[in-house]
Amino acid sequence: MLQKPKLIIDGKRLDGREFDELRPIKIEAGVLKRADGSCYLEMGRNKVVAAVYGPRELHPRHLQDPSKAVIRYRYNMAPFSVEERKRPGPDRRSIEISKVSKEAVEAIVIKELFPRSTIDIFVEVLQADAGSRTACLNAASVALVDAGVPMRGIISSVAVAKVDGVLVLDPIKEEDYYGEADIPFAFLIRNGKIESITLLQMDGRITKEELKEAIKLAKKGAMEIYKLQREAIMKKYEIEKEDIENAQ
Amino acid sequence: MHSDILVDIKKDYVLSKLRDNERIDGRAFDEFRKIEIYPNIIQKAEGSALVKIGDTQVVVGIKMQPGEPFPDTPDKGIIITNAELVPLASPTFEPGPPDENAIELARVVDRGIRHSEAVDLSELCIEEGKKVWILFIDIHALDDDGNLMDASALAAIVALMNTVVPAERFELGNDFKLPIKDIPISVTSLVVEDKFLVDPSRDELSVGDNTITITTDKNDNIVAIQKSGSYLLSEELFEEIVETSIKKAKEIRKLVTS
Amino acid sequence: MRKIVLPGDLVSTNPKLAGSGTYIENGRVYSKILGLLDQTETQVRIIPLKGRYIPSVGDTVIGIVREVTANGWIVDIHCPYTAFLPVQEYPNMKPDKKPNEILEIGDAIIAKVLNIDPKMKVTLTMKDKLCRPIRFGRIVAINPARVPRVIGKKGSMIKLLKGELDVQIIVGQNGLIWLNGDRRKITIAEEAIYKIEQEAHTEGLTDRITEFIKRRKENVTKA
Repeated sequence: MLQKPKLIIDGKRLDGREFDELRPIKIEAGVLKRADGSCYLEMGRNKVVAAVYGPRELHPRHLQDPSKAVIRYRYNMAPFSVEERKRPGPDRRSIEISKVSKEAVEAIVIKELFPRSTIDIFVEVLQADAGSRTACLNAASVALVDAGVPMRGIISSVAVAKVDGVLVLDPIKEEDYYGEADIPFAFLIRNGKIESITLLQMDGRITKEELKEAIKLAKKGAMEIYKLQREAIMKKYEIEKEDIENAQ
Repeated sequence: MHSDILVDIKKDYVLSKLRDNERIDGRAFDEFRKIEIYPNIIQKAEGSALVKIGDTQVVVGIKMQPGEPFPDTPDKGIIITNAELVPLASPTFEPGPPDENAIELARVVDRGIRHSEAVDLSELCIEEGKKVWILFIDIHALDDDGNLMDASALAAIVALMNTVVPAERFELGNDFKLPIKDIPISVTSLVVEDKFLVDPSRDELSVGDNTITITTDKNDNIVAIQKSGSYLLSEELFEEIVETSIKKAKEIRKLVTS
Repeated sequence: MRKIVLPGDLVSTNPKLAGSGTYIENGRVYSKILGLLDQTETQVRIIPLKGRYIPSVGDTVIGIVREVTANGWIVDIHCPYTAFLPVQEYPNMKPDKKPNEILEIGDAIIAKVLNIDPKMKVTLTMKDKLCRPIRFGRIVAINPARVPRVIGKKGSMIKLLKGELDVQIIVGQNGLIWLNGDRRKITIAEEAIYKIEQEAHTEGLTDRITEFIKRRKENVTKA
């Protein structure tokens, strides 16, 4: 049994971050040609790509919903994304993540506009380092906007962990693995405000008060991520305007 | 099964341009689209590369771990090549285990690497008969705009070229750079009537999935051939294709080594 | 320049002004898509920048025949719903002719959306003077959200293209456009259409396109 290392040293985290500090994030919208919408996103050492196809026809027929679009979300890890090579194909963890992520998105997409169709969201984790599901949901959110899918707002996602008794935002692998609790969140953000929780899970043990604190912390992180998601989309669509102005 | 109307409508245009000896994007018949190579993009993997050919994008990651050798080659390492044509990459890809196209792609890339002896498997022996290095080449398609084969093969060899054997992680000595002895390059062409188009784009493949892939090593030996698609290939055309493939492979090899 | 808005952005506090691309919740009007905010005194709507084509009755569309049945043809119009062209909706259909003798799998057609039932089953017709099977010319595909710009206010942009280049152009609301005429002129028209698609939401586009076409025509005559 490995000795659990100290995760908080001299009031700082292993990677030098503050308790409420996010890892560096990079977001690029519209990176794929074939997909209707797409996004490449890095969150710390997580590298993920999301693609959205749809609304499009759904086969076989019996899966269709006569009143609204079906949302499908497939979270998949590339075999080389983790330290010990992962066998390709869905495992139990990927299936669970796909389910809760799909449900997070379903609550936000205005599905009634497209009965009998499907909106497919595929996210591939190319490199993983704790919080890959939150990185994927952030990328999926941008890809959905890029695809022109109607939604009530934007989804921003981040996890909070409890390590050495302290709550920290956006844990890295060691904090996730050795910590006392890991709590991934996703929020619906509308008009610059956090409206509601759309994904929530917890692995570990915490008190009621710690949970309240964790929510506060997560909301702070989610708002910062939301700003970056907006910037990434604006960047892609504003760029056309700029190119033309410069060409004049 | 989703088909793509955007590709279908190009078919007539591709054929009519061909009659005038032109390609729809203005390329010469033996010209590749723009190739971009980004080595070592997945730092956590032992080796990796992202290759873009035009708008086609593929990532290859290399993972290594010790394992048992095959009984008939007790002193040689093992290479396992797999391709995932994930649904993210194309409206026509379905989730699930590799289909015949993914399997074909992986096996052709594998043959190119194996028969060019790019990786000397006897250098991957840890303890004869008991332990050798198992090297996984995992091909992950990101965007299929035609010719995933050449993008995958190129990404595979570039990934191998920046692979570091993780001996330290398994307490088997110091990490060392994987020695690479050759640079196999694959060249795929679309065959239409009596002509062939090198590096077909997805729009060009709308006329039919009739291709031929030729992989060569640095000495211009042929180390893999794959005719793919139900069509009749004349010997003459085949010879022309071989000549052109050798020539193009040389050019691409220069890109890799620079 | 119009402002770009994202889903969830608040665009008005007056539900009476809510136009297309918006939704109302608790008396407030939000954008539901990525698009350009278009505000007038009577309406606030969002002009989409992206999105799949969703058919409306009366739309002209270009599609490809995917299946032939005894009663008609199943047509792919590049949207989430398959469309069906009944045999009766083909002009001058002779009773002794079989459907596969008129249109085969892979044939492209220009048709109109006749009806959409509550289950989103789309019925097409070709009984309109714009409709025809496509046997020559070229089909170009653009983002369906940009189609209105290619047509222009009261058809101004399309008139410009037709006038300057002397080509036939039929624009499908589903983002597919049929061009017919001299090959080099069609190529210029195609490039102009892609340019319009790229620069759709900018100002001064009509003048830039006119300039573009004039320059390309000069290059062609010089060659």
